[in-house]
Amino acid sequence: MKNTSLLEISDLSARVAGKDILKGVNLTVNAGEVHAIMGPNGSGKSTLAQVLAGREDYEVTRGSVTFEGKDLFALPTEERARAGLFLGFQYPVEIPGVNNVYLLKAALNAKRKAAGEPEVDAYEFLTLIRHKMKFMHMSESFLTRGVNEGFSGGEKKRNEVLQMLVLEPKLAILDETDSGLDIDALKVVSKGVNSLRDPRRALVLVTHYQRLLDYVVPDFVHVLSGGRIVKSGDKSLAQELEQRGYDWVTESRVA
Amino acid sequence: MSAMAQVARGVVSPALRSFEEQWQSRATDSLASVRERSMERFLALGLPSNRDESWRYTNIRSLNGIHFAAARDHERGGIEPFASVSLLDGAQRAATISMINGYPWLHSIDSVINEIEVASLKEIARLDPKMLMRFIGQPSDADNQRWALLNTALFVDGLYLKITKNVQTPLVILHVGIGADTDTIAYPRVIIEAAPGASATIIEHHVAQGERPVMINSNTHVALGRGAQLEHYRVFATGHDSAHFDFLDVRQERDSLCKQFTIALGGGLVRADMEVSLNQAGARLDSHALLVGYENRHVDCVNLVTHAAPDTSSRQTARAIASDTSRVVFNSKVVVKAGAARSESQQSCRGLLLSQEAEIDSRPQLEIHADEVKCVHGATTGRLDPDMLFYLLSRGLDRNTAQSLLVFAFLADVLTGMSVASARTSIENALINQMPDSQLLRNFR
Repeated sequence: MKNTSLLEISDLSARVAGKDILKGVNLTVNAGEVHAIMGPNGSGKSTLAQVLAGREDYEVTRGSVTFEGKDLFALPTEERARAGLFLGFQYPVEIPGVNNVYLLKAALNAKRKAAGEPEVDAYEFLTLIRHKMKFMHMSESFLTRGVNEGFSGGEKKRNEVLQMLVLEPKLAILDETDSGLDIDALKVVSKGVNSLRDPRRALVLVTHYQRLLDYVVPDFVHVLSGGRIVKSGDKSLAQELEQRGYDWVTESRVA
Repeated sequence: MSAMAQVARGVVSPALRSFEEQWQSRATDSLASVRERSMERFLALGLPSNRDESWRYTNIRSLNGIHFAAARDHERGGIEPFASVSLLDGAQRAATISMINGYPWLHSIDSVINEIEVASLKEIARLDPKMLMRFIGQPSDADNQRWALLNTALFVDGLYLKITKNVQTPLVILHVGIGADTDTIAYPRVIIEAAPGASATIIEHHVAQGERPVMINSNTHVALGRGAQLEHYRVFATGHDSAHFDFLDVRQERDSLCKQFTIALGGGLVRADMEVSLNQAGARLDSHALLVGYENRHVDCVNLVTHAAPDTSSRQTARAIASDTSRVVFNSKVVVKAGAARSESQQSCRGLLLSQEAEIDSRPQLEIHADEVKCVHGATTGRLDPDMLFYLLSRGLDRNTAQSLLVFAFLADVLTGMSVASARTSIENALINQMPDSQLLRNFR
């Protein structure tokens, strides 16, 4: 059997509100790998994450993406999620009136239903959630609150990771999950992310800074600039970027 | 009577003629003079039309062509006890009084139910008309009171409730409209009086039975004494082809509190008027409207709140949802009279449109004749938040489920304000039943 990659992005271009943001992205992610996508503000990092997750108002103008060998763009957002793609949002939206835990339960059941599995038992689910919440240092009050309602920035990010831990995606794209976290929260979030590292899974960390990568060590580091990946390397690239800034990469591209 | 003469000449519509016939064939009672004045004015004015300010958004012209007979009372034995449609579940069963086509089913002419004194209006009209006249009031010909005029002229019986203590258990008035082979109209009338310091929760729940719906022209008068507190619900849950005109009139004395919920879940056409007079210092109104339009239904809610004394406060919160080709209208007006210093009012209406063809119109208005008042109002209408929808979809939820969840969340503000847990549950269930993925949504509560 041919060994297909988990995610294969070829020449991807996308437009947001009439403006070209992605201009030919190529990237291959295999199971078991952790990739970091770094880059200056406005380089298209978040757009890439949102396009992969299926944001409707982002228009794909060229290129293709396969997920486990299948055309990703043929699937609507919800089916991508059920197939095992997870987006950790940079700015998780607050949804007052929709209970946090019930959303999680519905999400898990949607995934199980798609896989032909029975719905999760209510008691088992609660046990699972409590366990994962403890792991993420989250208080019991999260059980009764609305989705991200009144959460601090750090709580929202921990909640994203909690959802990821419960849903156990094949591919998790974490968009700036480290931003706005103090050092303790960063450690907790990193612990959560690391716990999901698995030969069958892949992680794509979208980040502006290198500090998350001290805790979640990537196999590959890519620099996205001007809507394209302009440089790839191993974890030492992240350290170099930290020391020298992004200018030298973007300049070397021009040169 | 000149107006009646006009009817005789055949200038007016079949509907007006039929109301006049009902008037002619009525049994006279001690309320004759106020009824006559009301009928005369009603016939002179006719049914409201789009030319009338408060009926701009609701066209009832088609009713003009219908001949209405007065809906009849029904024998007690012939009908189910309606337990299945009651708003309260078994765990918190409240006392329920049924009113069929406006006729109350009482064991005796006056009694105490659920610690509340209960009497039939027909009996009070016979025994103590003066007392009844305190609550009937002088007819007004404001265009939003046309139906109230007709009700005053033609109601046959009704319910008088007197609250004299702090009543814990809610009382449900189950209004059942039972249609006949022909077009009929019912005139339910309820008077709720709370003595100083008394408190209670009253739920008026309107449902319908029978193939051909009876048109409802209902009227409720609330009088709150000093320091009295009432939590009042009116829930419209009749069929898709029915028409309902409801008028709620609330008079409040010093330091009284009225917490009011208007819930439109059904009814082909629901027009719900409310007029609240904060007549003495410290009177407070906290009103909530939850207006749900779907299919081709039409919901029109009109509030008029008058601050007639200093240090009064009112809050009006409305949540409107319109899907398919429905239309929902919410008009609220606050009048602060001269001398009503330090009054505070809030008006907030949020609308949610779920289809291209649906329409929501909301118009908060303010009329201030006093100084030192604090009045705020706001109205917004929009569609589902795309960021919220994307978030839920990105977690694998079906689009229908995600939309229903967001709709439900949109209404949560009003629902969480309800003190009667079982009423809230029932209303939530009724809402959920109208949404896709109802079973899944049930798990979200």
